[in-house]
Amino acid sequence: MRWAVPEAEFMDPGTLGCQGCGGALSMRMVLKEVGDDAAAVLPACCWSIIDGPWPLHSLNIPVLHTAFETAAVVATGIKAAKRHQGKDTTVIAWAGDGGTFDIGLQALSGAAERNEDILYVCYDNEAYMNTGIQRSSATPVGTWTTTTPDERPEPRPKKDIMAIMAAHRIPYAATATSAYPDDLARKVRTAVAARGGMRFLHVLSACPPGWKMPADQAIEAMRRAVLSKVFPLYELRNGRDLTITVWPDREVAIEEYFELQGRFAPLEHEPQTVEQIRSDVAERWQALVDRHERTMALAGA
Amino acid sequence: MSLEHVDDYPEIPVSLASTRTMLKTGAWRSVRPVLTERTAPCTTGCPAGLGVPAYLDDITAGRLDRAFLSLTARNPFPRITGRVCPHLCEDGCNLPIRTGDAAVSIRSIERWLGDQTADVAHPQPNPPTGKHVAVVGSGPAGLSAAYYLRRSGHEVTVYERRAEAGGVLRYGIPDYRLPAPIVASEVARLRNMGIDIRTGVALGADVTLADLEATHAAVFIATGAWQERPLEIDGAELLESGLAFLESVNQGEARVPGPHCAVIGAGNTAMDVARVLRRLGADVTVLYRRTAAEMPAIREEYEEALGDGVTFEWLTNPTAIDKNPAGLTVTVETMRLGEPDESGRRRPIPTGETRDVRFDGVFAATGETADLSPFPPFMQTRAGNLDVRPDGATRDPLVFVGGDLATGPATVIDAIVAGRRAARAIDHQLGFDARWPMDELSEPVAAAETNPTYITRRARTDSPPVATVDPFDEETRTLTTGEVLGEIERCMSCGHCNACRTCFVFCPDGAITWDEGPVIDHEFCKGCGICVVECPGHAMILINEREVSHA
Ligand SMILES: Cc1cc2nc3c(=O)[nH]c(=O)nc-3n(C[C@H](O)[C@H](O)[C@H](O)COP(=O)(O)OP(=O)(O)OC[C@H]3O[C@@H](n4cnc5c(N)ncnc54)[C@H](O)[C@@H]3O)c2cc1C
Ligand SMILES: Cc1ncc(C[n+]2csc(CCOP(=O)(O)OP(=O)(O)O)c2C)c(N)n1
Ligand code: SF4
Ligand code: SF4
Ligand SMILES: [Mg+2]
Repeated sequence: MRWAVPEAEFMDPGTLGCQGCGGALSMRMVLKEVGDDAAAVLPACCWSIIDGPWPLHSLNIPVLHTAFETAAVVATGIKAAKRHQGKDTTVIAWAGDGGTFDIGLQALSGAAERNEDILYVCYDNEAYMNTGIQRSSATPVGTWTTTTPDERPEPRPKKDIMAIMAAHRIPYAATATSAYPDDLARKVRTAVAARGGMRFLHVLSACPPGWKMPADQAIEAMRRAVLSKVFPLYELRNGRDLTITVWPDREVAIEEYFELQGRFAPLEHEPQTVEQIRSDVAERWQALVDRHERTMALAGA
Repeated sequence: MSLEHVDDYPEIPVSLASTRTMLKTGAWRSVRPVLTERTAPCTTGCPAGLGVPAYLDDITAGRLDRAFLSLTARNPFPRITGRVCPHLCEDGCNLPIRTGDAAVSIRSIERWLGDQTADVAHPQPNPPTGKHVAVVGSGPAGLSAAYYLRRSGHEVTVYERRAEAGGVLRYGIPDYRLPAPIVASEVARLRNMGIDIRTGVALGADVTLADLEATHAAVFIATGAWQERPLEIDGAELLESGLAFLESVNQGEARVPGPHCAVIGAGNTAMDVARVLRRLGADVTVLYRRTAAEMPAIREEYEEALGDGVTFEWLTNPTAIDKNPAGLTVTVETMRLGEPDESGRRRPIPTGETRDVRFDGVFAATGETADLSPFPPFMQTRAGNLDVRPDGATRDPLVFVGGDLATGPATVIDAIVAGRRAARAIDHQLGFDARWPMDELSEPVAAAETNPTYITRRARTDSPPVATVDPFDEETRTLTTGEVLGEIERCMSCGHCNACRTCFVFCPDGAITWDEGPVIDHEFCKGCGICVVECPGHAMILINEREVSHA
């Protein structure tokens, strides 16, 4: 295997990400493709910390820290100012799952509906990690967090943010993860090239402390999420045309994904939840495959 | 407050310095990743300890000269072993254990490298030492010893009884497996290094051991095992020697006794005799007193014999041979398997049931023994074997031995190893102790340590059979460069960094930079261990910081 990942770095070492931070790796990989003609907006999230304490910061692009719920709208404003200055800078709204699925959803929906010319990246670690692992609407069913303890694990399924974005008919949306660097890189390139409208990347990002697993298992966990079809990798054009980009090359049971992570310990006592997840995963995968095939048929493939 | 001018806005703090200047996150670390060079199990599987993944890496990177040098540091004849070696390296491969895929076809790659570098001259010898070493026998053991002795700077003369050099390579193994011109060109390359090879000189007949000792600083003897083990049955004199038959075939004088032939025995010689007879048009039955599970032939040789249409009669032991006007009648006894013997294989036990079978010719190939007549009695043990140390030294300080002569029938690579080991022992004996480092191999990388995620998963590509007009033309072809590069992509490169960049790609801290290989910036590496876990061949290992700070 020879990687198609560029050598150039736009994230300096010395970040405050934890050991094995998937969110830090997602940023490093995304910026390698975006380059330095870019600016990032960070709402409150782990990345507010990861970039470094004043007067230090690690990204080689300007970063604006902003309020928890405002990533999309602040990015929209910066883009407007850049456009006013005659610049074509890529403006990235970089938010966690809390800042995207929950509190930032209104601003995100507004920007998407207006088809703002921004690149919105949600690095999804499936809980409010920065404040100490509270559940969000991105937390999967059956998960332990500090607010959904072992006796009462997360009761609701993960919100389908991609369906919400699809409903906005934005030009480009994709799921990705740094366990598949070439796929992620290609999606970032596609998103950058689709400038002019709203682009959304949903990037699964392991959090070793929050997922309760050894740091060195971060890549393996993200890989198993994809192979077990818990987190399928696909892209969506205009909210309609869906193509699956990574077809799992081997069978991995959902249990193999769960067993790497202590946060799924409650599932050991809930076999009926596991079965429910298994059938949900299979059903969602089949729906994606159907849509993929429809897209191919329409494209005359 | 009016906010019309930029100066009307409140000041906000701006971070301008890089985290690189002050945030030395390396202090968080309790374990550190370090790049190492570890031994691969294919390397430990190879009797010569060839550093397989390192030379595969050189091939991919286009450094063929370096691949050739690293290979010939332990085996001067990749063109030959790449064709006939039983490839124990592949038996060690981690890939089947880790993934269920077939082993990397290392032997086919070795053959390709050998052919690609067929015209590369061997390295210039060290400065002359003024010592002259005699080598007797030009099989793989003798040629290997001559090669390493010459590289060490000694003057080397090889004495060979037959008309051409090569031993079994030239006179035993048939051309369709190992073409004679390949052996001849390897011999020519050795001559170009300044090795003097004298054919038609037999130890015992033309020179004596005492003569050689008088004129040389040391003598290495590797005359092989060429005496057919006599079968003690009635009519044994009616048998033809399998090895002698192969020798005549290799001299272009094949004589088939008739359309129905039998071969007694199931070793490599038996397989070659049977296959040659098939190629010459006879139908052939192998008579063997045990079963396929116990036969000593290299597995592939057996499979190829089956493919050629050789018939095998298992648990069949010839007890007598008789001549009659219509040919030969062989009386065979049916055997059954008993308890394992000292070789670990189950012992054949007579059942008393016999029958007669008719053939036109019967070949004996039940194993060869060495001719010890040139050696004085004091060099032999009471049991009548040569007394040999592992490095080839004998009871005569000037004389070293190796190859089939010392071990009985073995393999080409075993002979090459014996030649190299004896060359080192002789070099030491002649007073050059320091220049041959000990090269013991360390514990190999375990399959469980490897990560097959990033290698290319595809079917194994082996040197494929080709259709030939002449049944003695080489039966397989060398892989193409494209096929070799594709095959190498299957290798996990156990224990050897082949610059795949996986660690660089996955480091969440950007703490790995690239300078031909990975350079870990220990000022910033947090010790998450991702690079170690993701490294396909586990060439990266984690060590405890305590071992570093208190070292
Ligand atoms: C038919 C056959 C097929 C085989 N196939 C394989 C195979 O596919 N793969 C494999 O790995 N191994 C194979 N082997 C085994 C392998 O060939 C031997 O183990 C190897 O050749 C031994 O090498 P050597 O140098 O010790 O002896 P040899 O190759 O036997 O060489 C000994 C040399 O010494 C010479 N000599 C003998 N007596 C004297 C004397 N008195 N004076 C001077 N010179 C003398 C001989 O002429 C010969 O050239 C095969 C063996 C046979 C017989
Ligand atoms: C309005 C508001 N409420 C709460 C907070 C406290 N807060 C800071 S970060 C954070 C969690 C962010 O979670 P997420 O967006 O998932 O990012 P993560 O930290 O997991 O990377 C919270 C609740 C805040 N900064 N602002
Ligand atoms: S995968 Fe490659 S390095 Fe590892 S044992 Fe097999 S051939 Fe050797
Ligand atoms: S992946 Fe990077 S940070 Fe983690 S141990 Fe390796 S070099 Fe250090
Ligand atoms: Mg989060």
